[in-house]
Amino acid sequence: MAKLQGLPFGFDDDPPADAPPPPPEPPLSVAALTARLKSLVESGFSRVEVEGQVSGHRPHASGHLYFSLKDDRSQIRAVMFRTDARRLTFKLEDGQHVVARGRVSVYEVRGEYQLICDRLEPHGQGALQLAFDQLKRRLAAEGLFESVRKRPLPTLPRKIGVVTSQSGAALQDILRVLIARHPSAHIVIRDARVQGEGAAADLTRAIRAITDVAGVDVVIIGRGGGSAEDLWAFNDEGLARAIAASPVPVISAVGHEVDFTIADFVADLRAATPSNAAELVVERADTFRHRIDRAVERLTSAMRRVIDGRHQRVLRTMTRLRSYPTRVVLQQRDCQEFVLRMRHAQLDRVARVGQRFAHLRRRLEARDVRRVTADWRLRLARLDGRLRQTGQTRVQTAEAQSRELAARLHALSPLAVLGRGYAVCWNDARTGIIRSASSVNLGDAVRVTVARGELRCQVTERTDER
Amino acid sequence: MSTAIKDFESAIAELEQLVKQLEDGDLPLDKSLQLFERGVELSRYCHEQLGAAQKRIEVLTERGELKDGAALLSTDDSTRS
Repeated sequence: MAKLQGLPFGFDDDPPADAPPPPPEPPLSVAALTARLKSLVESGFSRVEVEGQVSGHRPHASGHLYFSLKDDRSQIRAVMFRTDARRLTFKLEDGQHVVARGRVSVYEVRGEYQLICDRLEPHGQGALQLAFDQLKRRLAAEGLFESVRKRPLPTLPRKIGVVTSQSGAALQDILRVLIARHPSAHIVIRDARVQGEGAAADLTRAIRAITDVAGVDVVIIGRGGGSAEDLWAFNDEGLARAIAASPVPVISAVGHEVDFTIADFVADLRAATPSNAAELVVERADTFRHRIDRAVERLTSAMRRVIDGRHQRVLRTMTRLRSYPTRVVLQQRDCQEFVLRMRHAQLDRVARVGQRFAHLRRRLEARDVRRVTADWRLRLARLDGRLRQTGQTRVQTAEAQSRELAARLHALSPLAVLGRGYAVCWNDARTGIIRSASSVNLGDAVRVTVARGELRCQVTERTDER
Repeated sequence: MSTAIKDFESAIAELEQLVKQLEDGDLPLDKSLQLFERGVELSRYCHEQLGAAQKRIEVLTERGELKDGAALLSTDDSTRS
């Protein structure tokens, strides 16, 4: 809707109604009519403000902007000439709701009227805000804010570049934190205007220059708090692109926590404040220091564990080595025991043979000894006769044979074993052989058969085997 | 030891990797000792790196020269920003 400013409609040239009809005039030329309309319109609409929607916008090579303003009922052609267009902070786009200020003029060649704007303001929001949103949207569409582009800060920041006003509080904040907490920091400062005319270009140059300095591995760019207009330089497209193109990570620290600039979006890391930016850098150095300390700690304890483990093994082996003699002794005892058991087994056998011998003897004795002897006597008498016949030689032979037989018999006799020094121990009743010390009581009488004769003994001491 | 240390990033990474190896591996003693020696070397290097950068403040001028900027640490609290 057109809002009229300046003069309302007025037709000063109209003749008064009561005047006599004028003499007929010759018809007007098109040019004359147009000229009269032009002067009428231009004087009547020399300064208007119109609110409407931009449509049919086409930028011209000349730098002039041609478009229409419309609402739901009408539209009016509009132009903004180059000199004014250059001052526009936002980018004109179709569909934008704007308030245009200017004058209405008639373009005589085409017989058209149009609004010549000298100022355009986005309706409802500030031009700066719109420009900010537009640039943000554009750079985002290019992928400049993508998180994959964000680089991590160096593990151990060495040369820290700082781009800010040399006389600003932000620089002092940054230096204070860096000096206090990262004493070995090497700081390179590049002074730049941070607000006002030319600040954006200055900052752009500065960021390019400082990232060229050999060894600078992280850059802080920023300034202290201020109004949106004060911070405006950080919303510059050129600066944003310079930050994006930086070969080293850039930390932005513009204003306070609540302030967001394009530089913040494009930077690798956004710090809430300048001192926070310095803290982020310092934290990296702290983290590095901590990582080393932690690794060294783990290294030494791991090594200690390795050595302790070996030490334990050596100790275990040594203990086992030391216990070796005990084992020898034990084995020796086993051996002795075995020998003893062998001996017992032997004795048992001897005893068994002895028993059989006794048994046989008893059986022999039970026989009629006299009849046997009578037989033998008879046979002997006969033999004697024969012996005498065979002569002395045979007697000798027989004697030798009998001696030999006696010797063999003797060898077979269990008594021969006794002859070797063993003894057989019986119970007193002679019903069994004593094989275990535990089978007799102290004071019991035992019988001990030795090679020659027998002993009756009394047990006075007893050693039980385990 | 033989292997050269590229930079502190790789040094700390190697150190951490080696510690892990030493921690979980049932390595022979001489290999353990070898790792330990390398670890000591790496940690020494890292510590050196921490102290390597000297505290310095420089100013990069409009003409691209580096000048001493220690004076900037002054207590002057004029605020232009």
